[in-house]
Amino acid sequence: MKRLPSTAASLEFHLEPWEGVMLAAVLSQYPCLPPAHQPLSRNGQGPDTLADQRLLDEALADQRRDNQRQLTRLLADTTRFRQSDKGWRLSLAPGDAEWVLQILNDIRVGSWAKLGSPDDLDELRGDQPNPDVGLMETAGYFQMRLLAGLRTPPDHPKR
Amino acid sequence: MLPGTIREAEEKPRSALEPGYLVICWNDPVNFMDYVTHVFQQVFHWPLQKARHHMLQVHQQGKSVLVRESLEKAEYYVHSLQKYTLHATMERDE
Repeated sequence: MKRLPSTAASLEFHLEPWEGVMLAAVLSQYPCLPPAHQPLSRNGQGPDTLADQRLLDEALADQRRDNQRQLTRLLADTTRFRQSDKGWRLSLAPGDAEWVLQILNDIRVGSWAKLGSPDDLDELRGDQPNPDVGLMETAGYFQMRLLAGLRTPPDHPKR
Repeated sequence: MLPGTIREAEEKPRSALEPGYLVICWNDPVNFMDYVTHVFQQVFHWPLQKARHHMLQVHQQGKSVLVRESLEKAEYYVHSLQKYTLHATMERDE
């Protein structure tokens, strides 16, 4: 997955044939994290902690539904994700790149949570292949490629 | 500004408006350091150096206090960080 010449309005990526197939397969696993995964507070302090926690859970659930809808649209939109002669082409608006990052991290952290949230990730890389380990590593691979693309300044400020 | 708007602001409990809540990010072994730095830059609009400083605090000390804000703003920031699946909480600053 390599950044291609891009504009401020659209980040362009080339993906090798296997990368395009893998990216679609990884994104199809969203969401991976269980609902109500994240506490608002560790010590339960706040004027109305239970109500605040419920609001946060609802907001995150809404966010996930939106992400799922956007993801379905992205994968079906051939102007943004399409096969080319040499692989795949991915075109993302800057805002889209942020939510794809969020989705990839949900999949990475969700896979890790399914594995029991181990402190030592090296322990997971054993002899036996494990689909959750594979999913966690592959989501991480695409995250890092996307982050590298976001760090590179646009070739043309506006087109 | 409409009179009603002023009254609504005045009726809020003082504690909700005071910057008495800490937004904390906790360490975990799964989030990449570059990713955490990127999220801090996006959520708080911090320069790279400041974002990296807080990321390293999380990594080396187990947590970093990111901002001290009012209840509403602290909730907003925690929600924003949790959208990126970072382990963030808010605690009252005693």
